[in-house]
Amino acid sequence: MPLSTSKIVVPIDFSSESPHAIQNAVRIAGDASKLHLVHVLLPLDSVSPGVLLGDISDESRREKVTEKLTQLADEHGASEATVAVQLGTPGLEIADYARDHGADLIIVPSHGYHGFKRMFLGSVAERVIRHAECSVLVLRRADAE
Amino acid sequence: MQLTRVVSSRHLRLLVLFSMAGLNLQSVAAQDTEGVSVTPIETADSAPARSLVQQLNDALEPVDSFFGDVNGYIAEVIFFKVPLGGGDTVPAAVLVLLLGATFFTFRMGFINVRGFRHAIMVTAGKYDNPDDQGEVTHFQALTAALSATVGLGNIAGVAIAIGTGGPGATLWLILAGFIGMSSKFVECTLGQKYREVRPDGRIMGGAMYYLSRGLPELGLGGLGKFLAIMFAILCVGGSFAGGNSFQVKMSLDAVAQTLPFLAAPEVAGAADYRWIYGLLMAIVTGMVIIGGIRRIASAAEKIVPAMCGIYVLAALIILLKNVGQIPAALELIVADAFTGTAVKGGLVGVLVIGFKRAAFSNEAGVGSAAIAHAAAKTEYPVREGMVALLGPFIDTVVICTMTALVIVITGAWDTAQNPQYASLIENDNGAALTSLAMDGQIPGFRYVLAVAVVLFAFSTMISWSYYGERCWAYLFGDNASMSYRIIFLIFTFLGSIVSATNVLDFGDLMIFGMAIPNIIGVVLLSGKVRKDLDEYWQKLKNGDLEVTVPSATADSGE
Repeated sequence: MPLSTSKIVVPIDFSSESPHAIQNAVRIAGDASKLHLVHVLLPLDSVSPGVLLGDISDESRREKVTEKLTQLADEHGASEATVAVQLGTPGLEIADYARDHGADLIIVPSHGYHGFKRMFLGSVAERVIRHAECSVLVLRRADAE
Repeated sequence: MQLTRVVSSRHLRLLVLFSMAGLNLQSVAAQDTEGVSVTPIETADSAPARSLVQQLNDALEPVDSFFGDVNGYIAEVIFFKVPLGGGDTVPAAVLVLLLGATFFTFRMGFINVRGFRHAIMVTAGKYDNPDDQGEVTHFQALTAALSATVGLGNIAGVAIAIGTGGPGATLWLILAGFIGMSSKFVECTLGQKYREVRPDGRIMGGAMYYLSRGLPELGLGGLGKFLAIMFAILCVGGSFAGGNSFQVKMSLDAVAQTLPFLAAPEVAGAADYRWIYGLLMAIVTGMVIIGGIRRIASAAEKIVPAMCGIYVLAALIILLKNVGQIPAALELIVADAFTGTAVKGGLVGVLVIGFKRAAFSNEAGVGSAAIAHAAAKTEYPVREGMVALLGPFIDTVVICTMTALVIVITGAWDTAQNPQYASLIENDNGAALTSLAMDGQIPGFRYVLAVAVVLFAFSTMISWSYYGERCWAYLFGDNASMSYRIIFLIFTFLGSIVSATNVLDFGDLMIFGMAIPNIIGVVLLSGKVRKDLDEYWQKLKNGDLEVTVPSATADSGE
């Protein structure tokens, strides 16, 4: 039963949850062209060899990720989806992207980090919920008990 | 309001003072009193300035003794004394490194010898393919790894080895570099083999990846995860200590040879300005790692090979000047290597010192360089392993040997003949020892060395902050970098005020600690490397590895 939405943002971090999120989003939207698959790149460090001596730059990263996003969308029945790459803090960038593009829903997979990683990373889902100006749907993990 | 203005103007004056001091040392005392006289309450008396500096030093003293205490506890484990019979003991981590390197040399059929020529060809870009996955060329990966290893370990660490272990340590140092080439080959091949390629094209690799991804293939997943975490924690510690505080401390020693006001005060409690150096190093490093000003770091990385060249050239000039003494020096080195008259424990004692300082400098068996070499563009992991084996050769067999020979030839190690060096050796002030020994032969060289040493220290710190940050990200996630960078800078500052012996000990503990999980894992995985090596070698012999890509498109050698 499709919801009445016109634009849905789905954050993609290329984790094992990402395919599950795309498939669910396609089902909910009823039409993959409503989807915006967004990946957020963390700012580049300034000490790794690729940055200092090689050819790693924000442009090269953007190009590679766009390619990977398109490929992932194609593989999971969302080839008509829009793909976008943002740079910054994941939760905030997703909320900003949704606002700037007038999205009416964000569908975010939950990660279920525990311990150290949770303490340091918090959760992207939590940040999206706190900052988003539209509705947010948090997916249960595919492997949740 | 008034107060903040006074404080900030004082800070500014301190910085101005520091830069002027470089131009005119004689005027330091006068500038000092002038600088203080701006505070409304004081007159031209210098006492208040001294008490401010003294207060700072007093506050920092417990930090130094805390370092000493912590070192003692960790050393009980990592440098656990393994008895060899006859009353001799070897620290556990050194034994692990020594046995590991010997094992890899035989297991890989002396790859350090038979792979040498091919390694040079690969590094020269003969096999570069810009379409291979990775971040950098073979040459650039080697440059990055070398900028981490060529640092104060080569200049200061080696001088300490000869000063405390006697001339014989030179022989063991060279041997450690030679068999360390095999350790480096195996660990860097694994770094490539089990690296992770991120969707944005960045590479994550190194010991923590091959331990956690490789060992499960042998049904040892639990052990792999445990060793990977242990490695990552120690590597973070190593990046704070040997890769950071040690570099600051030892380069400060060399700089103080040319700017005496930065030296440790001769009278306890006297004004001490060493922290200014720590603060400046922290500011410049912070501009790169937090401020993101990459140009400073990439310039430093690119200058390193030239600096190595200058250093080796200067050492060769000194050797040529004393060419007549070389046969006697070599005789002394070989004889002393087996008697170890300068140290307690004789042969074993001098061997341990030589191996320790070699491994500290070239990091072979430590697992750190695998992080940098994993980033190279290549189709064959073994190929990057070959490039990596040049690291210990350049770092130890060439550069460390130069330092060692200079210290032996000039007699700087011989405190009976040259008592002026005794206190430097006793306090582990290796950089100052090398600086004085070289300056005695090439007058004015201490100024060149002071510049070189600051650049070596800085580029080593940048590379080690990369190693540490990757391990931190492995432990806490990609988004946790900022906390790491702040702690790193605190250690940069601490390096200028903590005593040399404590910094050296802490650095040793962390870096040798890394070798324990690393060598265990690499030994277990060495069968896979041998298999890959044999396949690669066969292809090479059959001529199946000829370059097909036009060299014009390869961006090698830059």
